[in-house]
Amino acid sequence: MMPEFIGVIAFVVLLLILLGGIPIGAALALVGMVGLAIIISPEAALIKSGVIAFDTVSRYELGVLPLFMLMAQLCFAAGASADFFEMAAKFVGHRRGGLAMASIGGSAGFGAISGSSLATVATVSAVALPEMRRQGYQPGFAAAALAAGGTLGSLTPPSGALIVYGIIAEQSIGKLFGAAVIPVISQAIFYVAVIALLCRWRPELGPVGPRATWAERGRALLRVTDLSLLILFVVGGLILGWFTPTEAASVGCVGALLLLAFRRRFSRAALGRALTETLKTTGMIYTIVIGALLFSTFVGVTGITGDLVGMVRATGASPILAVIVMALILLALGSFLDGLALMLLMTPIFLPVILGLGLSPIWFGIFLVRTMEIGFIHPPLGFNVYVIQAGARDIPLGAIFRGVVPFLLSDFVHLALIIAFPAIVLWLPMIQGH
Amino acid sequence: MSEEPDPGEEASAPREAGAARTVLLVLGSAGLLTAMAADAVAVFGRHVGFTLPGSIEVFQVAAVVALSVAILLASLNDRHAAVDLMINRASPQLQRSLFLGGRLALALTFALLCAGSIWVSADLWDTGEMTEVLAIPVRPFRLFWILCSGVAAVHFAIQFARAQFVKASRR
Amino acid sequence: KPLPPGTIELTYASPYAATHTFSRADITWMKWIEAESHGHIRIKPYWGGVLLSSNENMLEIRHGVADIGMITPMYARSAHLQRIQPSFYSGIRSIPDQVAVYKCLAAAFPAMNAEANGLHLLAIQGGNVPGILTRKRPIRTLADLKGLRLRAQEDTADVLRAFGADPVNMSMAEVYPAMAKGVIDGVVAPADSLKAVHLADVGRYFSTLKVPRGAYPGRAMSQALWERLSPVDRDIFTRGELVWEQAMNSELDAALTAGERYARSEKIEIVPLPAADQARFDALYSANAFRLGRGLKAYGIDGEAIARRAAELIAARKGGGTMTCETGRPS
Ligand code: NA
Ligand code: NA
Repeated sequence: MMPEFIGVIAFVVLLLILLGGIPIGAALALVGMVGLAIIISPEAALIKSGVIAFDTVSRYELGVLPLFMLMAQLCFAAGASADFFEMAAKFVGHRRGGLAMASIGGSAGFGAISGSSLATVATVSAVALPEMRRQGYQPGFAAAALAAGGTLGSLTPPSGALIVYGIIAEQSIGKLFGAAVIPVISQAIFYVAVIALLCRWRPELGPVGPRATWAERGRALLRVTDLSLLILFVVGGLILGWFTPTEAASVGCVGALLLLAFRRRFSRAALGRALTETLKTTGMIYTIVIGALLFSTFVGVTGITGDLVGMVRATGASPILAVIVMALILLALGSFLDGLALMLLMTPIFLPVILGLGLSPIWFGIFLVRTMEIGFIHPPLGFNVYVIQAGARDIPLGAIFRGVVPFLLSDFVHLALIIAFPAIVLWLPMIQGH
Repeated sequence: MSEEPDPGEEASAPREAGAARTVLLVLGSAGLLTAMAADAVAVFGRHVGFTLPGSIEVFQVAAVVALSVAILLASLNDRHAAVDLMINRASPQLQRSLFLGGRLALALTFALLCAGSIWVSADLWDTGEMTEVLAIPVRPFRLFWILCSGVAAVHFAIQFARAQFVKASRR
Repeated sequence: KPLPPGTIELTYASPYAATHTFSRADITWMKWIEAESHGHIRIKPYWGGVLLSSNENMLEIRHGVADIGMITPMYARSAHLQRIQPSFYSGIRSIPDQVAVYKCLAAAFPAMNAEANGLHLLAIQGGNVPGILTRKRPIRTLADLKGLRLRAQEDTADVLRAFGADPVNMSMAEVYPAMAKGVIDGVVAPADSLKAVHLADVGRYFSTLKVPRGAYPGRAMSQALWERLSPVDRDIFTRGELVWEQAMNSELDAALTAGERYARSEKIEIVPLPAADQARFDALYSANAFRLGRGLKAYGIDGEAIARRAAELIAARKGGGTMTCETGRPS
């Protein structure tokens, strides 16, 4: 049997068993191992598994992931999760749809710490959703705003997804973070604009809340100062080259420990909880990483990657068309694959095509993560929507997905802008380089 | 994607399991914090003017401990992510089979990773592998990873067997 | 396209892209093998590190992950002599000399081959003399080494450490991202790599401190596969060794010229070092090589004897003579 054919079958099998609820890491690893055993030999497959497993758990560059997660957990233990939302709510809560706008701000702020869409949406919605419902927001709209806002966590630096991309695509993580800044800000502005327009059209979606006094606003602002400084220090130091990405994560953890002490929340229990939660989440992600590395070794052996590049070149398709096709594939896969797994899966396949078409790998990293983000909310399988619904069972899924549609439309416009005007992405890293 | 809830594991866990969990947590936490400290001190040193030779090696071996524990903990707490959309909509009978399939897949995955790691370690056993700068022996860390992945495999095999048994006895 | 009956297809794995210097030599060799076997042996290449890892490639070939592959014994935490023996080549002048000295040593000291057990070596790899490429600070004197985190092989590490640098050893394939991300401040690398692995993109200064450079076993297939080959096929691979080594020599020569030209066009500042500094470096380097050699006693290897023999061979060559191994066979 031709390796390429085995590769195609493996993709189909992978899709089927993923939909059948086989844990993502196990599905990737098993398909990869069986594929390697068929194409090369069972001995080679086992040895490769052993090498990849130990390589992954001992790899220095990958150490950024658990450490940034620990930093997020420590900030969480310091009571930082809701502060950004509460601060924003004090400033815009008295406007129409103000709390929804505040949840976008809160998501961007917490997303900076958390590095993950799912964590962002779970954390911010735990505080913001009850508050919005108390003030009479339409539940489907409120949940949709939170689901969309949560996607900001994937791209806001320091972003776990960008770190992983930087490692596998061999690109400067500092530059990727720089490149993410304008897309994140413009995306947040798009969401706020969607909320403003919707609430103007149908005021019952997001009623007006009480106006906070300037004293209250000042206090809320003060509460996020220490956190903001920490994020600025970590991301800034990284972009300026004071420390490397792995080091930034370590330095960030030390900073978060200081923050914990500063906020008088430092206790053995708090530290223990943060460490335990970090370990469990890390274990889940590393299992997927090991699986994805095995699977991508197998994909490499099948030679499918080369065929794909050849096909794109043979059809003489324009780069824009190729990118749009990639976006569609990513959106489809993003419906049911974890963002990180998707990135590990698709980067080795798409990046050679992108480089072959003469496009920037930095731009591609942002495009990839941005497209993945959209996958978190688009029907039928938006993870963010499910996470919110898990915490608010009385809101029907359909209502949330209907509420998501306007945000999704703005996402498509935003993505189209990123494709049409790469400068949105590349301008900042270009200045950074000089 | 969801992380499956663990039904009352804390309550039903016998005392020895609780102690084992504590040991795991302490080891994993120590690994994470050691890795963090190695890097943070190296950064601090670089900006004040001293170097910490081999800080990356300390980070790496500490990471092996932390991540091996992490993978085992995620397994013991059923935290492995899966796409559960179809499962939630399937009939109870199909749900049961899919759950069994998931346990079997996890058991197989960790068993194969463990077996591969044992083979690699056996091949390199006599060579006295060690890191370059600090000459930290690698063997104990390989063994630790093998132990953790092996326990994860056994855990899922037991879950699979138990679920099978329950299914059989209900018939 | 099914292979004609009787044809053997063997996989070849390299961490480098198909366009890399080494890969061009690999392709020359593949074509020679196919031509010499009249198409009976076909080599299927996997470029870009798809098949083999950067550290455990010897182990992986031994177990058939790839049939043939580039090996990097100096990055294996299990190969103690191979990690150190490249430091025994102080004063060597050319790549063919590096390869010849390696072969003499391998013929005389069984320990040289012991760490490649289970493998059949197909070529010995030499290289151009390295300098140091740095990102932000030029190395104008040895004092400038202080505080720099540099990628260097183990044989250079101690000497760099003596001058206050913080050397790290990682696979050459990981150097580019590490430089780009600032994991390291610089890399000990020959000028050919400025263009070949695009190191010129991630560095700004190239200091011409000459770091001695040795040869090492660079290509191998598993012994099990070797034993399955027919005597005729084995003979082709045996003769192929010279083809491979010559191809690498000429590709490395061309790459050096290209690298120097590229460095000029990319405005990499070439930083010379005072002769006194070079001499100080060389003396320390040589003393350290002997010290490292003595340290191999812990693994039951008489490293000092190997280092001494290498020094004798190189000294004889410096005198203008041809190199003669202990077997008396000129090489
Ligand atoms: Na983030
Ligand atoms: Na989706």
